[in-house]
Formats: sequence, structure tokens, C-alpha cells
Amino acid sequence: MLEGFGAILIAMGAVFFVAGTVGLLRFPDIFCRLHALTKADGLGLALIALGVALLAGTAGAAFRVALVWFFVAIASATCSHLIARYARHGAGGVP
Amino acid sequence: MRATTPLRESAPARGHLPPRPDILAPHICADGPEPTDTNAVPALRPGPRRGRWHRLRRWLGAVLVLAVLLGMLTGWRAESLVFGLPAVVLGAMLPLLLPRVPGWRLSLRGALAFALWFAVQSVRGAVDVARRAFAPDMGLRPGFRPYPLTLPQGAPRVMFANTITLLPGTLCAEIEGDMLIVHMLDTRMALEPELAALEGRIRALFALPPNPELCQ
Repeated sequence: MLEGFGAILIAMGAVFFVAGTVGLLRFPDIFCRLHALTKADGLGLALIALGVALLAGTAGAAFRVALVWFFVAIASATCSHLIARYARHGAGGVP
Repeated sequence: MRATTPLRESAPARGHLPPRPDILAPHICADGPEPTDTNAVPALRPGPRRGRWHRLRRWLGAVLVLAVLLGMLTGWRAESLVFGLPAVVLGAMLPLLLPRVPGWRLSLRGALAFALWFAVQSVRGAVDVARRAFAPDMGLRPGFRPYPLTLPQGAPRVMFANTITLLPGTLCAEIEGDMLIVHMLDTRMALEPELAALEGRIRALFALPPNPELCQ
């Protein structure tokens, strides 16, 4: 039961990662691409982390997975802000 | 273990003395209340002692957080302390070397409400962008919009900027002084009501007074 639920969560997370990648390829400029990467991949990682934490079973492993999610979430928002700022300042030739 | 001397001079900024100009940078609006005031308690002790106690408490807090992290990561094994103990002690000193930011505290109820809302919004944002990615007509009309910041400097602003990036269709692209530059996937969408609502939630999270109408 718990395994099935965890597997469903991981599969849903993978769908969001695919969506983020499709957005990265299809969206017209760097800023729109950042939207796809930060939002879709962020939720994808959260779902996969939740699924893995359910499958892992022990509290220590779940805590480590939660830490991974937490630091990636902060880093992803900060990175997208930095990339957007760099692109806005006319770092010429960024597609 | 106490902090090193170069940091001592920044301590009085915590009390009711005038803020150091190099800490509260030019971004701060001239007529708004000073951010440290929102959390400062009346100075019961003379400045230097209060500052020293405050730094010690900050350091001990960091030691506690890092020690718990280390313990959880290593499964509380004693031999991990060989490298872990120096890492925790030195790591806890890093925040003391960084420039001081205005103090802040969290409201527990605000944090719980925010966490729930944050989860719902990140799902909304991700579903929105995933739908656009797969849709034949992506429905994009990208563009930038300015939004005036009224939150105090430091953690509330950082939280605001990072959360905007998770909301559907918005991305915090740049902060220019007291102006936030937001990139929108579809500029036909309403921006102000969403961001004003988010601002209210950030205020609740950090136990700040509800919108005092500064800088406007």
C-alpha cells in the first residue's frame, strides 16, 4: 500500500520533470525557460522526494531526503533570480 | 567561545541607537520605519553587554542547528565527531562574519498557514507551466512588470522574492532598490492582487504588522 503510493508519487514527479524539460526546449526565451525549470522541476523533485521518503521507511532517511529538497528548493529559486538578472543586464548573445 | 573583535562594533545597531549607514543600505526607504525596530525590545541592559550576549546566543543557536544536522546525517555515530566537531564549531562562526541583517522572528501560526499555502501554490505554479509546455499554443505573452517592495529588508524580502518565483506565471527577475522586477509568462494576468496577497502572508509569517503603507 505504502510502496504503491510512493511509486505513484515518484511517477508523478517524473512527469513534472519531463514537462519542465519540454518547456525548456519549447519556450521562446531565457526568462520563460526559467519559469519551466524552477516551477515544474521544483514540484517534480518535491514529489520524488516525498515518494522516496515513504519508501525509505526510516526517519533518518526521510530527514535526509527532506534536507535535499530544502536546499535544492532554495538554490533553484536563487539561481533563477541570478540568471534572470544576468540576462537582463544585457549579457549579449544569451538566447 | 566568543566572536572575534571586528564584529563587536556592529552590536549597538541592535538597540535603539541610529543604524549604521553601511548596514542599512541606500535601498531602505527614507520615511519607512527602520526594520530593526519591528523586533527590537526596549534596551534593559547597556549596549555592549547586550550585543555580546546576543552574539553568543546566535552562535549557540547555529551550533545547535549544525549539530542536529550532523547527527542526523551521520546516524549519531561518535567517530563522526573527529571531523564533525571542528566543522560545527567553525561553521557556526560563519554567520558572525557575514554582514549583519535586521533581526527577524517567525510566527508559528503564520508559518503553518504559510507552509500549507506554499504547497498548494507550488502545485498550481507547476501545473500551469506544465500545461503551457505541452499545449500546442503555449499562451505566452511574456514581459516584465515592476512591483514596489514594502516589506522590510532581510529575510522577509528574500522570502518574498523566492516565493514569487513559485507562483503561477511569475518569476522574480531583479531587485532594483525598492522595486521588484517581475517576469510574467502572460502579462494579461493580474499581478498586483496575487503579490499583495503573498505580501500579507509573508507579514503573517514574520509576525510583522499588517501593511503600514510605507514607501508608496
